[in-house]
Amino acid sequence: MIRVTVIAVLAAIVTTLVAVLIRWLPESASEQMDRITFTYWFATVISIAIFSIVIGLIVYSVWAFRVQPEDDTDGPPIHGNTKLEIAWTIVPALLVISIGLVSAVVISKNANAGSDPLEVKVFAQQFAWKFEYPGEVRSDELVMPLRRPVEFHMESADVIHSLWIPQMGQKQDVVPGVTTKIVITPTRTGTFTLICTELCGLGHATMRAPVRVLEQPEFASWLAKQRAAGAGAAGGAASGGTGGGTQAGGAASALGKQTFASAGCGGCHAFEPAGTDAQIGPGLDNLVADAKKAGEPEDAYIEQSIVEPNAVVVAGYQPGVMPQTFGETLSPEELDALVAFLSGK
Amino acid sequence: MSDIPISGGPHLAGSHPQEAIPHGPPPANRSSRLDAATLGMFLFIASEAMLFGAFFTAYFFVRVVNPTATETWPPAPFEFPVFVAGVNTAILVTSSFTIHWATQAIKRNDRNGLRAGLVVTILLGSAFLLTQAIEYAHVGFNTGDGAFASVFFGLTGLHGAHVFVGLSLLTIAAVRAFRGHFSAEHHHGVEIPGIYWHFVDVMWIIVFFAVYVL
Amino acid sequence: MTSTTEPHSQHGLRPGDPPPRRRGIFMRPGYLRASWVTPLFFLIGMYIVVALRALAGWDPVYDWEYIVLIAGMVTAPIGFLLGMGVFDYWLYWISGRPTVADDHASHGAYSWKDYFKVNTDHKVIGIQYLVTTFFFFVAGGFLAMLFRAELAEPGMQFFDTQTFNGLVSAHATLMIFVFIIPAFAGLANFAVPLMLGAPDMAFPRLNALSFWMLPVAGALFLASFLAPGGAFATGWTSYAPLASEQPFGQVFFNMGVQWAGASSIATALNFLVTIITMRAPGMTFWRMPLLVWANFTTSLLVVIATPFIAGSQFFVMFDRVMHTSFFTPDNGGYVLGYQHIFWFYSHPAVYIMVLPGFGIISEVISVFSRKPIFGYRLMAVSLIGILVLAFSVWAHHMFVAGMADWLRIPMMISTLLIAVPTGIKVFSWLATLWEGKLHLSTPMLFALGFISTFVIGGLSGVYVASVPIDIHASDTYFVVAHIHYVLFGGSVFTIFAGLYYWFPKMTGRMFDERLGKLHFWLTFVTFNLTFFPMHWLGLDGMPRRVADYAGTYGALNMVVSIGSFVLGASVVIFAYNIVVSWARGPVAESNPWKAMTIEWQVSSPPPVFNFDEIPQVVGGPYEYGVPGARHAVLRGGALQEAHA
Ligand code: HEA
Ligand code: HEA
Ligand code: HEC
Ligand code: CUA
Ligand SMILES: [Cu+2]
Repeated sequence: MIRVTVIAVLAAIVTTLVAVLIRWLPESASEQMDRITFTYWFATVISIAIFSIVIGLIVYSVWAFRVQPEDDTDGPPIHGNTKLEIAWTIVPALLVISIGLVSAVVISKNANAGSDPLEVKVFAQQFAWKFEYPGEVRSDELVMPLRRPVEFHMESADVIHSLWIPQMGQKQDVVPGVTTKIVITPTRTGTFTLICTELCGLGHATMRAPVRVLEQPEFASWLAKQRAAGAGAAGGAASGGTGGGTQAGGAASALGKQTFASAGCGGCHAFEPAGTDAQIGPGLDNLVADAKKAGEPEDAYIEQSIVEPNAVVVAGYQPGVMPQTFGETLSPEELDALVAFLSGK
Repeated sequence: MSDIPISGGPHLAGSHPQEAIPHGPPPANRSSRLDAATLGMFLFIASEAMLFGAFFTAYFFVRVVNPTATETWPPAPFEFPVFVAGVNTAILVTSSFTIHWATQAIKRNDRNGLRAGLVVTILLGSAFLLTQAIEYAHVGFNTGDGAFASVFFGLTGLHGAHVFVGLSLLTIAAVRAFRGHFSAEHHHGVEIPGIYWHFVDVMWIIVFFAVYVL
Repeated sequence: MTSTTEPHSQHGLRPGDPPPRRRGIFMRPGYLRASWVTPLFFLIGMYIVVALRALAGWDPVYDWEYIVLIAGMVTAPIGFLLGMGVFDYWLYWISGRPTVADDHASHGAYSWKDYFKVNTDHKVIGIQYLVTTFFFFVAGGFLAMLFRAELAEPGMQFFDTQTFNGLVSAHATLMIFVFIIPAFAGLANFAVPLMLGAPDMAFPRLNALSFWMLPVAGALFLASFLAPGGAFATGWTSYAPLASEQPFGQVFFNMGVQWAGASSIATALNFLVTIITMRAPGMTFWRMPLLVWANFTTSLLVVIATPFIAGSQFFVMFDRVMHTSFFTPDNGGYVLGYQHIFWFYSHPAVYIMVLPGFGIISEVISVFSRKPIFGYRLMAVSLIGILVLAFSVWAHHMFVAGMADWLRIPMMISTLLIAVPTGIKVFSWLATLWEGKLHLSTPMLFALGFISTFVIGGLSGVYVASVPIDIHASDTYFVVAHIHYVLFGGSVFTIFAGLYYWFPKMTGRMFDERLGKLHFWLTFVTFNLTFFPMHWLGLDGMPRRVADYAGTYGALNMVVSIGSFVLGASVVIFAYNIVVSWARGPVAESNPWKAMTIEWQVSSPPPVFNFDEIPQVVGGPYEYGVPGARHAVLRGGALQEAHA
């Protein structure tokens, strides 16, 4: 018995070292992640104990009960032991229930948005994220104030996506037809990446968005600037490209370029002016030639290709790959700007 | 590979040269009072019931859980042909009695009763299917007209497919009945399709209430 | 060793029966007949589609998607089965023609060629299953090698993203639907009737049908790579609504799953009836070997749960080809319905993929420790506990899916509670080892390896069962690590243990123990090398199902990829060992492991009809070390040693 304990303790030491020396979880950047980290360590302590006992017993048995050569006798006919059996039913039950209780408390705390959350609407579509702040401020970048709970209200235009910022722990699917919610309270400033974690098609791996956490005053001034810019832009269309709110009321081509980025076209298409080089869809640098081939005026052809991608399918590509929802998700201004941008005007 | 002697076959164990193999296996021990074929049919029915369960689950999600579910069922301009379906229900319930009659008949060794019962049941079942096909053509909406239509065609179509299977089984039984098979002792071939047919009927009543009445 | 040449087709015909009609080679069941019946049925299916479209006035009349769907995935496979002769007996019976009551024409294998024909012998079917599923294992593993090559470095190297997703999806689909689940069915097919003291399964012809549906499913999955647009690329979970908008390859998944599911339901039904009605005299439920118990509970799970995946795939397919709106929100559908229906099958399915393995491990541990299994009754009861709980936890795959919040807590608690019956099994195995006489031969090594890796997988399961941790870890490589620790470290290890354990019984020959040990150690080490780092990758932020990832994960991914290639190589050792030993390994005794269960009391390989007389069961199956104890008494020559 003592030897088993020694082996189990050794196993526990090794596992504990593995558990502590490797930085398993990213450094937390939100209150919710702090609690998740706590739950994680709670489960880890229990797991180390269980794992060490199991491994200790296996290793010891192999070492001590290994059969001697020429020994073909049987072991002692032990059929069971009621006390032991009860013990290993009850103890694990208690342990897992304790994990359950801790988890339940953590979930309810993590779902609590406090009295004054910042509400941010999230729109996901293949393969781009858009965020909308109170006052119809739209952005392609997620900017969050430090230490203020942000409540996300999320909608999807096409298929299921999922929002995750690894350092902030929280994750939630974005489901067409349902508005889902989560709360994140950032605890440190910096830049992060928001990634889509639900397989949503071709561009799933590249469906990301930049995230910045700002001190509250800085956040307020950012929001104010966005609001001003948004009011200036024609039709209140999206503003604040990936750079973070650069220009106001820019020319159509600027809007076109922005839309190209924010609608996720770059996830599939190579296009020089936008600096993208993805290979899923055809390159868009020779659209004039393609339009000729289709025998249509250039602009009409481009517009049709965006709104109704299956109408003309480029040779060598598949119908049904390019999302068919752009007609609904892009505003007429954005569409026009996009066509202008693509036709090089 | 063919030159490698394969010892995979059970035959090559030296102790069992061909002559020693008994002609046929020893009869298996019957460890349960349940009859194997009947038990098999009940398990199959359990699994079929679960398939209906999946369709009812879809119905439940579309109609109850869905946040965008409509107030009325079916949604406004559309209507389900409740009357026709009611008549159909009557037809199918009657056929349950006729198949029962058929199986009881053969238990009394009454071949003619068996044949008549089977034929009437098949006719009733076919009438049901035909009515349903006509109903589909006149119901005024199509599969693409919304989730209510998906559920409607899904459940009634799945059930229709089962009626078809049931009819096929009964037809087989009928063919064999007219060839003079089955007797008071041997009537598995009717009894088991009969169980299935009852299941199809019961399922219809549930489908009818869920889709048309509720 | 001479091959038997006696025409066995006469077998079972009574004297006085009319001799079977001679049929031309194109009419006899087999590949030749299949080679013309299959295309014929394709044509029939095609013209059904064309006729219906013409009648309804739809344009175009020749719509190839529908034709491939109906003709290629429904009628042609039926034609293939017909051609192979799976339905012959039934067709005779149906049409009322005379049939021989117990016709054993297609029973037993007399040459290796018989394994390629329709056979009704459970032992032959078992081996057919195992060889076929091993083929799909290698195919699925090969796909993993391909995408591991892509993942070795960040950035895109070999495949575009759609192809990559296709590789991942086909990998998992092949592994789950046509490897793990049917491989267990194969082992059980071989072992269960023998262990029960039954001459065969309850429905031998249904058994043959179950087997032959499997290659159809596998062929459909593989054929999807030929579809325009590539293989189905939505993961093995194939979530709606993405799945209903994908290129045509997706339909191959939808339909392949139906064939695999039908096969699995038919087998499960067969096992249940066999176990309930065909136990040898004296074989009470409390005297059944745990492998039989395990397959009993698994079969219950299959019969009850599998129809749900059939339903889920039907809905996705209807949404696609009939424009229904089960999962289209604009039209009144409800997207999350898919996941509920899918997981109502697929969670129980993960226990379908591991309970038979638990059974195998119980056999192996007890035999190689020379001790009775510790706490036999609780072992059986815990299986039932898992069975019951398995139906109440499906939504733990949906903690982040946006389902009703209140469902999370009960689902979490029931999920966590599954650790209890599973723990009972683990601790009972450990207690069985205690003070035993451990024979560390290959099956035992795999059993011990199984316990250690499965515990890791189970514990990572407990992590993700805790909602807050799952919220962070869901859809990351942490889940991928969990999957492989339970499915590879769990199920595949048990399959290896079982294959080595019953190999002498199946083939009558011994495998090479040294190669077996080498296979074990190489697998064990590289398995951990491949999959352990995935926990870290996932927690640190690498999502699953991505062809490209942030550069910081490059180094670990390289380690994983290299590990996976060596892991692949270890499979080659196994394949070599099996093929060579089967062909010319040393002849095996009837009971090389000195086991008590009935299958070891007959010759290796067992006689065609298993027993000359049904054995009488007189005690428990694991009475090792109990003086004079016996499990079963066999009469009539069966005990004689094959080559004594
Ligand atoms: C053989 C297959 C198998 C098995 C046996 C299991 C077993 C378990 N699984 Fe796993 N699981 C999968 C296959 C399997 N799983 C697959 C394929 C997926 C991914 C699907 C996909 O999305 O593609 C998945 C995903 C998955 C998820 C969803 C993750 C996500 O997508 O976010 C969850 C969440 O709860 C989960 C939990 C569990 C639990 C609690 C167990 C338990 O049964 C484990 C119980 C065992 C033990 C705990 C170890 C032994 C016990 C003891 C030694 C006793 C003492 C223990 C304690 C006190 C803790 N699994
Ligand atoms: C039983 C199930 C099973 C098994 C055995 C495996 C085995 C392996 N799996 Fe798989 N895997 C899954 C089930 C399984 N997997 C599931 C369910 C998923 C989730 C999919 C999803 O997201 O939908 C998954 C996903 C998955 C991923 C994540 C993909 C992603 O999310 O992007 C990865 C990544 O590394 C991976 C790797 C591997 C590797 C390296 C092996 C190795 O063990 C493979 C070992 C190699 C072989 C067995 C092949 C050996 C043969 C050869 C090399 C040819 C030699 C020739 C001859 C012998 C003639 N698997
Ligand atoms: C999921 C990948 C994907 C995304 C995202 C995507 N496309 Fe496409 N696109 C394709 C594919 C594939 C084709 C070729 C098949 C076709 O013509 O439908 C295509 C075709 C086109 C064409 C026709 C090209 C030609 O040479 O004729 C245009 C124009 C186009 N896309 C513009 C856009 C714009 C603008 C966006 C963003 C609003 C966008 N695409 C987003 C995949 C995508
Ligand atoms: Cu969006 Cu993945
Ligand atoms: Cu699960």
